[in-house]
Amino acid sequence: MQRRRNPYSALCCAFLKLAVLTWVAVGRAADHADSLKKGAVEGTVSYQADPARPWRYARYYVKQPKTGELAEAVVALRAKPVAEAAREAQTIVIDQQNFQFTPETVIIRRGDSVKFTNADQATHNVQSSSEIAAFNVNMPGGGDHTVRFDKAGGVRQPVHIGCVFHSAMRAWIFVFDHPWYQMTAANGKFRLSDVPPGEYDLEMVHPAGELRSRKRVEIKPGETLRIDIRVSPDDKR
Amino acid sequence: MNSHRASRRDLLKAGISSVSAGLALMSMPSFVFPGQDAAEELVPFQNVPRATPNSLDWETLTEDEWLTPQDQVFSVQHYGSPKVDPSSFVLEVAGLIERPRKLSLADIKALPREDRLMTLECSGNGSSPGFSGAVYNSRWTGTPLAPLLKECGIKPGALEVVFFGVDRQKETLRKGTPRELTVEVPFGRSLSIEDAQRADLLLAYERNGQPMADRNGAPLRLIVPGWYGIANVKWLTRIEVRDRRYMGRFMGRDYVTIRGERQDGEVVFVESSVTRMNLKSAIARVTRHAAKDGKVPLKAYGAVWGDGTPIAKVQVKFDDGDWREAKLDDKHSEKYCWRFFSIDLGPVAPGKHTLVSRGVDAKGRVQPAAGDDEIALKKTYWEAYQQWPRTIQVEA
Repeated sequence: MQRRRNPYSALCCAFLKLAVLTWVAVGRAADHADSLKKGAVEGTVSYQADPARPWRYARYYVKQPKTGELAEAVVALRAKPVAEAAREAQTIVIDQQNFQFTPETVIIRRGDSVKFTNADQATHNVQSSSEIAAFNVNMPGGGDHTVRFDKAGGVRQPVHIGCVFHSAMRAWIFVFDHPWYQMTAANGKFRLSDVPPGEYDLEMVHPAGELRSRKRVEIKPGETLRIDIRVSPDDKR
Repeated sequence: MNSHRASRRDLLKAGISSVSAGLALMSMPSFVFPGQDAAEELVPFQNVPRATPNSLDWETLTEDEWLTPQDQVFSVQHYGSPKVDPSSFVLEVAGLIERPRKLSLADIKALPREDRLMTLECSGNGSSPGFSGAVYNSRWTGTPLAPLLKECGIKPGALEVVFFGVDRQKETLRKGTPRELTVEVPFGRSLSIEDAQRADLLLAYERNGQPMADRNGAPLRLIVPGWYGIANVKWLTRIEVRDRRYMGRFMGRDYVTIRGERQDGEVVFVESSVTRMNLKSAIARVTRHAAKDGKVPLKAYGAVWGDGTPIAKVQVKFDDGDWREAKLDDKHSEKYCWRFFSIDLGPVAPGKHTLVSRGVDAKGRVQPAAGDDEIALKKTYWEAYQQWPRTIQVEA
């Protein structure tokens, strides 16, 4: 049987909606004003080949050799920790598929978790001896194991994951304690926004290519700084 | 193919390193097989993990890299990877011989110098998709073992020659029983007296004209052409002629293949030590040209190797088609080395395809599929010489 609607509760509900909408609108206006006080940095990471020192595995990360846009590069600002109580912790999945960690590189926020799964029939192992998080678990086909990362290592100290049974398997987990980090897709692009004005180190690491770059940047309120990061075999770690 | 390679080399010789030259070079296929032309593009495998350093990168195997560069050479060690001081290094020849010898590295280098060309493979290579790059081809330089053994004078009653490395480790036997025993032992492998006196065995100190890398066994390594990697003892420091079978861990317990054999309809399991390499082939890569009339011309390239038995042919099967004969490369044809092959697969429809190769040798031996008895009834992972199917996605 359908319940009859109480007119009093309907009125309350309407007031509540109005209050919420007003709060959201005011909040958005405040956010907008706030974002004007902040700045952003964006650009493209690209790889400049050197025929004398070819990068054998470039084909996995550079789809357009002519322009060199670099995929799976981690770009981040070096910044003080930022606590965001409202941010919900996330869980990222790294699968073991066809004897390969997929994805190979992931970026997470401190407090997030990584769920390792195994789509292969073979037994794998997931292990790390990092100071950030040390673990060593065997995982039969179809198994899973979740690790929460409560320490951050940023760009400079990724958690290196391996499989003791299959030494060619590898993955990297970058843990940040602030929101200004990204990983490039095939177009090499990155954008870090809502950055408080000031001077920062803009850092880029490509773990598989052992490539690294660092630039001092100044973020100005309401402006987007455009910086293209070009790396070559000279920018080895 | 040749014009492309010449132009690349010319650029390198001219020392041009400008960005534009670099980018132009990157846009060309920089990895060329015998018979490949510059317009061919790589069609990546779908079922092969990304290659990693210090193992063979199959998809980039080239004619120029018939001898494998050091950055693609695998190494496996069981008792750690010792760093041996060449100045204090001594090789001892002992046991059932008339004239025991102790030789410094300088003494060994003063002996006749010879080369051996050989493809060396880890016997576990191919046991999983993540472990398929543990094979490489080399020119080893050193001194032959046979004249040294002859000079030492092997006594009657000699049965085996044991080769010991510098590397040692504690081994526990009969673990968990009242007779548990722990002893420290050197790494060792043995050969029958006949095999040890083969003319082609070498005491090697160089690889591809360079001093051998520590991880590959410097300063001295036994080279046994046609035998799996484990027999090619690294950090070799003692050669001992004995009248009893040596049954160290890597002869008698590990590197033992356990395989079911059919005897009068019954499967009987037999244990045998891992010794000679098996006939094996693999597709290294697939290339394509631009689509024409909705179909894509494909070519496949690969390598075949074994224990030195001449290779009769390589066949390739595309999807459910018949086995078709590939063309064997005549440029590099050495008894104990891999031989490259190629095959024109013709125009194919876009989509997902599977292709696989198999070697056939002069004795009529055919490389088995994973489901054939000799692989399916093999319970250990060593001697993983089954066919390797490759999956590709051909875009229109």
